[in-house]
Amino acid sequence: MARIELSGIQKRWGKVVGVRDVDIEIADEEFVVFLGPSGCGKTTTMRMIAGLEEPTEGEVIMDGEVMNDIDARDRDVAMVFQGYALYPNMTIYENIRFPLRMREVPKGEQDALVRRAAEMTELTDYLDRKPSALSGGQRQRAALARAIVRQPQVFLMDEPLSNLDAKLRQAMRVQIKHIQRQLKVTTVYVTHDQIEAMTLADRIVIMEGGAIQQIGTPDDIYNDPANTFVAGFIGSPPMNLVEGAIDAGTFTAQGIEVTGLPAALSGNVVLGFRPEDCTVGGNTPHLKGSVFGVEPTGDLTYLTIKVGGQQIEVKADRAFRAELDTEITVTFDPARICLFDAKSGERLR
Amino acid sequence: MASQRRKSRSESLTLRYAILGGWALFCLMPVLWFLSIGFRPRTEIITAQPIYWPTFSLDAFWMIFEDWPMWKYLRNSVLAIIGSVLIDLVLAIPAAYSLSRYTYRGRDDIGFYILSTRMMAPAIVAIPIFFLFRNAGLLDSVWALMLIYAAINLSFVTWIIRSYMMDIPKELEDAAKTDGAGDLRILWEIIIPAILPGIITASVIAMIFAINEFLFTLLIASTPNAYTMSVALANFTGGSDGLIYNAIALVAFLAFVPVFIVVVAIQKHLSRGLTMGAVKG
Ligand SMILES: Nc1ncnc2c1ncn2[C@@H]1O[C@H](COP(=O)(O)OP(=O)(O)OP(=O)(O)O)[C@@H](O)[C@H]1O
Ligand SMILES: [Mg+2]
Repeated sequence: MARIELSGIQKRWGKVVGVRDVDIEIADEEFVVFLGPSGCGKTTTMRMIAGLEEPTEGEVIMDGEVMNDIDARDRDVAMVFQGYALYPNMTIYENIRFPLRMREVPKGEQDALVRRAAEMTELTDYLDRKPSALSGGQRQRAALARAIVRQPQVFLMDEPLSNLDAKLRQAMRVQIKHIQRQLKVTTVYVTHDQIEAMTLADRIVIMEGGAIQQIGTPDDIYNDPANTFVAGFIGSPPMNLVEGAIDAGTFTAQGIEVTGLPAALSGNVVLGFRPEDCTVGGNTPHLKGSVFGVEPTGDLTYLTIKVGGQQIEVKADRAFRAELDTEITVTFDPARICLFDAKSGERLR
Repeated sequence: MASQRRKSRSESLTLRYAILGGWALFCLMPVLWFLSIGFRPRTEIITAQPIYWPTFSLDAFWMIFEDWPMWKYLRNSVLAIIGSVLIDLVLAIPAAYSLSRYTYRGRDDIGFYILSTRMMAPAIVAIPIFFLFRNAGLLDSVWALMLIYAAINLSFVTWIIRSYMMDIPKELEDAAKTDGAGDLRILWEIIIPAILPGIITASVIAMIFAINEFLFTLLIASTPNAYTMSVALANFTGGSDGLIYNAIALVAFLAFVPVFIVVVAIQKHLSRGLTMGAVKG
């Protein structure tokens, strides 16, 4: 329903910097997920899109129109707040209906819309209750219902599923994606949860320290991390990062040697490889270390190897077993190796 | 084992009721005593020996209503008090909203100034206020009392409501804004319902202050036309009849009853209101 453009956005409170430098264009009907550690500025960015916070610098543009001076209530966005923000004196029914009343949706249509939203969030049985009489997860769903009850220009969802159990979370995830596709509403979604980000997003925005680290499709982010932060943040366990030296196409660090890398590079670099791109053993192994931990999970075995004082995670076959402290070798898939500059952490290509 | 536990439980319950009952009796003693004085003949009041079982008499009751315009005093009290509380709420709620929600230069100073008006000894302003009201032609009317009570209570009513408003999470208003509500609507539909206990608490305290107010009432209500219960009480202390204790007791009781009824009626909100400021959520 709307294109959103954040251009040179900054948010400061005196000396505190909430958001440092955010530039992004979000296409119409796109589903964008902001992912990042606590305090990285996700909520702040979202509040600036909603018009609840004024950027210290930069512009918020929707459909080509600069929105900086437009009031929150005139922006036609629906937001799910991290703290739910349900109206305590109203029942759940009245809570969900509130935006319809404020946006002057005809009285006759309100009831059906409220009930539909309640159904999608499995709240039909709780409509007569006050928020204080609901569990955390139910409150969160009520907050979600209040946002999806109407068809705004933009959905802003700030960790809308953080308080649900695994099963309900998965069901709601599917529900949200479905609603978004059905209503064709541009959506900005904030989460801590990688799986949520990977499954929901058309594009993921990785944030850290108030700045965007990388924007890309889930595949891009996973396969082509732009820097060591993204590489070390995405994946579970995330990419292994080993600092070492490269010379004439050969990377060396304690216990690790990789040949056949781009010959143009030299100096200190960080070598990155994902736990699932490793094979135990092999004829010309890249890594030699001792077994530090073996954790079978049923469908695979997490293997932790100690190499030169550092721990390396490997996803081994589910049948793999080994005695602790025994010697072990590992081979990487050379095509999947990433190199980063040791100083800046930026990817070397 | 189990039965013993049950027994000790019921014992502790009895003990609890006994203690609470004792406390209640202690608190109610003055009221009961007043009642007993109010409903006995005058001859049984001024005796040296205590009388444990006084004769029941409505003498004083008839006297205060027949010899004095007691209904009028009562009406004046009720009108002036309710009116003053309404004025306070109409002024205090927007003021508190502004003080708790917007940031502007001097906000905290204004807040403190409002509170500081309460710290002044009333006697200091009594004379200026008398002349102010006289020049405005407001002496001797219920309206003047309404104004003066409102003025006296406005500061702390504002302050109490402000502290309740500060406890409302900002996200709540943000949600209402994104849902499309304007400022007045947010105030009316979100904020006021959420702080209702605070509004009620502040109103009740304002009422109690107003009903006990004496100095300004005496000053401004210069004739029985605008006398309230508290000033009427003073009327029974002088004159050719001397101190009419049973009438005083009865009038005091009558002044007490309206507040008592109000407090009992809204008790639920009141007790919640008095603790809500401390415990969030
Ligand atoms: N009103 C404010 N005044 C000062 N600093 C603030 C304010 N709001 C947020 N911040 C700071 O800005 C930074 C970003 O906060 P923000 O709420 O956007 O984080 P977040 O990414 O949403 O974190 P979380 O995942 O924990 O919700 C934080 O360091 C926070 O302390
Ligand atoms: Mg947040």
